[in-house]
Amino acid sequence: MTLLSKTITTFGSLFLAHACYSAREHAALQSLRAATSASLTSSPTAASSLPIDIVIETIVSTFIILLGLVLGTRPLRPLEWRVWAGKIEREGEQGFTDNSGVVDKDYMGNPFAVLESRPNFVDIRKQRRQFAKWVQEGSGKQGQ
Amino acid sequence: MPSERELQISPVVQESLVHNTRTLYNLQSLTASLFGVSAGILGLESYAGFLFYLVFSLLAATLVYALRVAPTSLAAGKPLLDTSRYFRGAYDVWAGGLMNGFAGFVLTWTLFYGLVRA
Repeated sequence: MTLLSKTITTFGSLFLAHACYSAREHAALQSLRAATSASLTSSPTAASSLPIDIVIETIVSTFIILLGLVLGTRPLRPLEWRVWAGKIEREGEQGFTDNSGVVDKDYMGNPFAVLESRPNFVDIRKQRRQFAKWVQEGSGKQGQ
Repeated sequence: MPSERELQISPVVQESLVHNTRTLYNLQSLTASLFGVSAGILGLESYAGFLFYLVFSLLAATLVYALRVAPTSLAAGKPLLDTSRYFRGAYDVWAGGLMNGFAGFVLTWTLFYGLVRA
Protein backbone atom coordinates (compact mmCIF):
# COMPACT_ATOMS: atom_id res chain seq x y z
CA MET A 1 0.00 0.00 0.00
CA THR A 2 2.66 2.45 0.96
CA LEU A 3 4.74 1.37 -2.02
CA LEU A 4 1.77 1.99 -4.31
CA SER A 5 1.17 5.50 -2.95
CA LYS A 6 4.86 6.39 -3.12
CA THR A 7 5.13 5.14 -6.69
CA ILE A 8 2.09 7.16 -7.76
CA THR A 9 3.38 10.28 -6.00
CA THR A 10 6.82 9.93 -7.59
CA PHE A 11 5.35 9.53 -11.07
CA GLY A 12 3.13 12.55 -10.55
CA SER A 13 6.06 14.62 -9.31
CA LEU A 14 8.07 13.72 -12.41
CA PHE A 15 5.23 14.86 -14.67
CA LEU A 16 4.77 18.04 -12.65
CA ALA A 17 8.49 18.82 -12.83
CA HIS A 18 8.38 18.30 -16.58
CA ALA A 19 5.36 20.56 -16.89
CA CYS A 20 7.12 23.22 -14.81
CA TYR A 21 10.21 23.03 -17.02
CA SER A 22 8.06 23.22 -20.17
CA ALA A 23 6.22 26.27 -18.88
CA ARG A 24 9.54 27.92 -18.01
CA GLU A 25 10.91 27.24 -21.48
CA HIS A 26 7.74 28.49 -23.08
CA ALA A 27 7.89 31.71 -21.10
CA ALA A 28 11.55 32.20 -22.02
CA LEU A 29 10.79 31.57 -25.69
CA GLN A 30 7.89 34.01 -25.62
CA SER A 31 9.96 36.79 -24.13
CA LEU A 32 12.74 36.14 -26.65
CA ARG A 33 10.29 36.19 -29.55
CA ALA A 34 8.70 39.35 -28.24
CA ALA A 35 12.09 41.03 -27.98
CA THR A 36 13.18 40.07 -31.52
CA SER A 37 9.84 40.91 -33.14
CA ALA A 38 9.75 44.23 -31.35
CA SER A 39 13.18 45.11 -32.66
CA LEU A 40 12.34 43.94 -36.21
CA THR A 41 8.79 44.98 -36.91
CA SER A 42 7.74 46.84 -33.76
CA SER A 43 4.28 45.27 -34.05
CA PRO A 44 2.71 44.35 -30.73
CA THR A 45 2.53 40.55 -30.44
CA ALA A 46 -0.39 39.13 -28.59
CA ALA A 47 0.65 37.62 -25.28
CA SER A 48 -0.03 33.99 -26.02
CA SER A 49 -1.12 31.83 -23.11
CA LEU A 50 0.30 28.49 -22.11
CA PRO A 51 -0.02 25.67 -24.71
CA ILE A 52 -2.86 23.29 -24.01
CA ASP A 53 -0.58 20.25 -23.56
CA ILE A 54 1.33 21.87 -20.70
CA VAL A 55 -1.97 22.85 -19.06
CA ILE A 56 -3.26 19.30 -19.36
CA GLU A 57 -0.01 17.81 -18.10
CA THR A 58 -0.01 20.11 -15.05
CA ILE A 59 -3.59 19.33 -14.10
CA VAL A 60 -3.25 15.60 -14.65
CA SER A 61 0.01 15.38 -12.71
CA THR A 62 -1.53 17.39 -9.85
CA PHE A 63 -4.38 14.91 -9.75
CA ILE A 64 -1.96 11.97 -9.78
CA ILE A 65 0.09 13.39 -6.88
CA LEU A 66 -3.12 14.12 -5.01
CA LEU A 67 -4.23 10.53 -5.49
CA GLY A 68 -0.87 9.26 -4.23
CA LEU A 69 -0.96 11.52 -1.18
CA VAL A 70 -4.50 10.50 -0.26
CA LEU A 71 -3.57 6.83 -0.63
CA GLY A 72 -0.57 7.47 1.60
CA THR A 73 -2.55 8.90 4.54
CA ARG A 74 -2.82 6.82 7.67
CA PRO A 75 -6.08 4.88 8.06
CA LEU A 76 -8.68 6.75 10.11
CA ARG A 77 -10.05 5.47 13.39
CA PRO A 78 -13.73 5.31 14.35
CA LEU A 79 -14.85 8.15 16.60
CA GLU A 80 -17.64 6.59 18.61
CA TRP A 81 -16.52 4.56 21.57
CA ARG A 82 -18.71 1.56 20.82
CA VAL A 83 -17.60 1.37 17.17
CA TRP A 84 -13.97 1.76 18.19
CA ALA A 85 -14.12 -0.86 20.95
CA GLY A 86 -15.94 -3.23 18.61
CA LYS A 87 -13.20 -2.80 16.04
CA ILE A 88 -10.56 -3.62 18.66
CA GLU A 89 -12.55 -6.67 19.76
CA ARG A 90 -13.01 -7.93 16.23
CA GLU A 91 -9.71 -7.11 14.57
CA GLY A 92 -7.26 -6.65 17.44
CA GLU A 93 -4.08 -4.83 16.61
CA GLN A 94 -4.46 -5.74 12.93
CA GLY A 95 -7.08 -3.02 12.66
CA PHE A 96 -4.72 -0.32 13.96
CA THR A 97 -1.77 -0.48 11.62
CA ASP A 98 -0.37 2.19 9.35
CA ASN A 99 -0.01 1.63 5.63
CA SER A 100 3.14 -0.48 5.91
CA GLY A 101 1.52 -2.86 8.40
CA VAL A 102 3.31 -1.62 11.53
CA VAL A 103 1.04 -1.40 14.58
CA ASP A 104 0.49 2.16 15.79
CA LYS A 105 2.56 3.22 18.78
CA ASP A 106 -0.46 4.47 20.70
CA TYR A 107 -2.45 1.29 20.25
CA MET A 108 -3.55 0.41 23.77
CA GLY A 109 -5.62 -2.69 23.14
CA ASN A 110 -8.83 -3.65 24.85
CA PRO A 111 -10.14 -0.68 26.89
CA PHE A 112 -11.69 -3.12 29.38
CA ALA A 113 -8.55 -5.22 29.88
CA VAL A 114 -8.34 -4.03 33.51
CA LEU A 115 -11.75 -5.48 34.20
CA GLU A 116 -11.14 -8.75 32.43
CA SER A 117 -7.95 -9.66 34.24
CA ARG A 118 -9.02 -8.93 37.83
CA PRO A 119 -7.13 -11.37 40.02
CA ASN A 120 -9.96 -11.36 42.58
CA PHE A 121 -12.05 -13.35 40.18
CA VAL A 122 -9.55 -16.10 39.48
CA ASP A 123 -10.84 -19.51 40.64
CA ILE A 124 -7.67 -20.63 42.34
CA ARG A 125 -9.01 -23.99 43.54
CA LYS A 126 -10.07 -24.94 40.03
CA GLN A 127 -6.67 -24.00 38.73
CA ARG A 128 -5.03 -26.09 41.45
CA ARG A 129 -7.15 -29.11 40.47
CA GLN A 130 -6.24 -28.63 36.84
CA PHE A 131 -2.57 -28.38 37.72
CA ALA A 132 -2.69 -31.53 39.86
CA LYS A 133 -4.41 -33.39 37.05
CA TRP A 134 -1.81 -32.21 34.58
CA VAL A 135 1.02 -33.32 36.90
CA GLN A 136 -0.60 -36.73 37.35
CA GLU A 137 -1.03 -37.19 33.63
CA GLY A 138 2.60 -36.25 33.06
CA SER A 139 3.90 -38.64 35.70
CA GLY A 140 1.57 -41.37 34.39
CA LYS A 141 2.99 -40.98 30.91
CA GLN A 142 6.52 -41.08 32.23
CA GLY A 143 5.81 -44.23 34.21
CA GLN A 144 4.60 -46.10 31.10
CA MET B 1 -22.73 18.82 16.29
CA PRO B 2 -23.95 16.30 18.87
CA SER B 3 -25.51 17.55 22.09
CA GLU B 4 -24.26 16.83 25.61
CA ARG B 5 -26.92 14.17 26.05
CA GLU B 6 -25.96 12.36 22.87
CA LEU B 7 -22.31 12.47 23.89
CA GLN B 8 -23.23 10.84 27.18
CA ILE B 9 -25.12 8.10 25.42
CA SER B 10 -22.50 7.41 22.75
CA PRO B 11 -19.13 8.72 23.97
CA VAL B 12 -16.32 9.77 21.66
CA VAL B 13 -12.76 8.47 21.76
CA GLN B 14 -10.49 11.51 22.09
CA GLU B 15 -7.41 9.71 20.72
CA SER B 16 -9.26 8.79 17.55
CA LEU B 17 -10.48 12.36 17.15
CA VAL B 18 -6.96 13.75 17.51
CA HIS B 19 -5.53 11.11 15.17
CA ASN B 20 -8.12 11.71 12.44
CA THR B 21 -7.92 15.50 12.67
CA ARG B 22 -4.13 15.47 12.50
CA THR B 23 -4.11 13.08 9.54
CA LEU B 24 -6.54 15.29 7.67
CA TYR B 25 -4.67 18.47 8.58
CA ASN B 26 -1.35 17.06 7.35
CA LEU B 27 -2.90 16.05 4.06
CA GLN B 28 -4.60 19.41 3.59
CA SER B 29 -1.44 21.45 4.23
CA LEU B 30 0.56 19.23 1.90
CA THR B 31 -1.95 19.27 -0.94
CA ALA B 32 -2.51 23.03 -0.62
CA SER B 33 1.18 23.61 -1.34
CA LEU B 34 0.91 21.23 -4.28
CA PHE B 35 -2.06 23.15 -5.69
CA GLY B 36 -0.04 26.36 -5.32
CA VAL B 37 2.73 24.82 -7.41
CA SER B 38 0.39 23.90 -10.24
CA ALA B 39 -1.46 27.24 -10.09
CA GLY B 40 1.89 28.99 -10.41
CA ILE B 41 2.91 26.80 -13.35
CA LEU B 42 -0.40 27.48 -15.07
CA GLY B 43 0.18 31.19 -14.52
CA LEU B 44 -3.23 31.83 -13.01
CA GLU B 45 -3.96 35.30 -11.73
CA SER B 46 -6.41 36.69 -9.17
CA TYR B 47 -9.81 35.00 -9.17
CA ALA B 48 -8.77 32.16 -11.48
CA GLY B 49 -6.16 31.03 -8.96
CA PHE B 50 -8.57 31.08 -6.04
CA LEU B 51 -11.15 29.24 -8.10
CA PHE B 52 -8.50 26.63 -8.96
CA TYR B 53 -7.76 26.23 -5.27
CA LEU B 54 -11.44 25.90 -4.43
CA VAL B 55 -12.03 23.25 -7.07
CA PHE B 56 -8.98 21.19 -6.17
CA SER B 57 -9.68 21.40 -2.43
CA LEU B 58 -13.13 20.01 -3.06
CA LEU B 59 -11.56 17.33 -5.25
CA ALA B 60 -9.14 16.42 -2.46
CA ALA B 61 -12.00 16.23 0.04
CA THR B 62 -13.92 14.00 -2.35
CA LEU B 63 -10.92 11.71 -2.76
CA VAL B 64 -10.47 11.48 1.01
CA TYR B 65 -14.11 10.61 1.35
CA ALA B 66 -14.06 8.07 -1.47
CA LEU B 67 -10.83 6.31 -0.51
CA ARG B 68 -10.64 6.63 3.26
CA VAL B 69 -14.10 7.25 4.68
CA ALA B 70 -16.60 5.66 2.32
CA PRO B 71 -15.53 1.98 2.30
CA THR B 72 -16.12 1.46 6.03
CA SER B 73 -18.68 4.20 6.55
CA LEU B 74 -21.07 2.90 3.92
CA ALA B 75 -20.61 -0.66 5.15
CA ALA B 76 -21.62 0.51 8.62
CA GLY B 77 -24.91 1.79 7.24
CA LYS B 78 -24.18 5.53 7.17
CA PRO B 79 -25.78 7.53 4.39
CA LEU B 80 -23.77 8.68 1.39
CA LEU B 81 -21.41 11.66 1.95
CA ASP B 82 -21.75 11.30 5.70
CA THR B 83 -18.41 11.56 7.52
CA SER B 84 -19.67 11.25 11.09
CA ARG B 85 -17.93 7.91 11.56
CA TYR B 86 -14.52 9.58 11.54
CA PHE B 87 -15.03 13.33 12.00
CA ARG B 88 -17.06 15.50 14.34
CA GLY B 89 -18.46 17.84 11.74
CA ALA B 90 -18.89 17.65 7.99
CA TYR B 91 -17.20 21.06 7.78
CA ASP B 92 -13.78 19.63 8.74
CA VAL B 93 -13.62 17.35 5.74
CA TRP B 94 -15.31 19.33 3.01
CA ALA B 95 -14.22 22.91 3.74
CA GLY B 96 -11.41 22.57 6.28
CA GLY B 97 -8.81 22.44 3.52
CA LEU B 98 -9.76 25.92 2.35
CA MET B 99 -8.73 27.40 5.70
CA ASN B 100 -5.86 25.14 6.72
CA GLY B 101 -3.84 25.29 3.55
CA PHE B 102 -4.57 28.79 2.32
CA ALA B 103 -1.27 30.36 3.43
CA GLY B 104 0.74 27.52 1.94
CA PHE B 105 -1.20 27.79 -1.29
CA VAL B 106 -0.54 31.50 -1.72
CA LEU B 107 3.12 31.03 -0.81
CA THR B 108 3.87 28.37 -3.42
CA TRP B 109 1.55 29.99 -5.96
CA THR B 110 3.48 33.27 -5.94
CA LEU B 111 6.81 31.45 -5.73
CA PHE B 112 6.21 29.29 -8.80
CA TYR B 113 4.54 32.11 -10.71
CA GLY B 114 7.70 34.12 -10.18
CA LEU B 115 9.98 31.18 -11.00
CA VAL B 116 8.28 30.30 -14.25
CA ARG B 117 7.68 33.81 -15.55
CA ALA B 118 10.61 35.80 -14.23
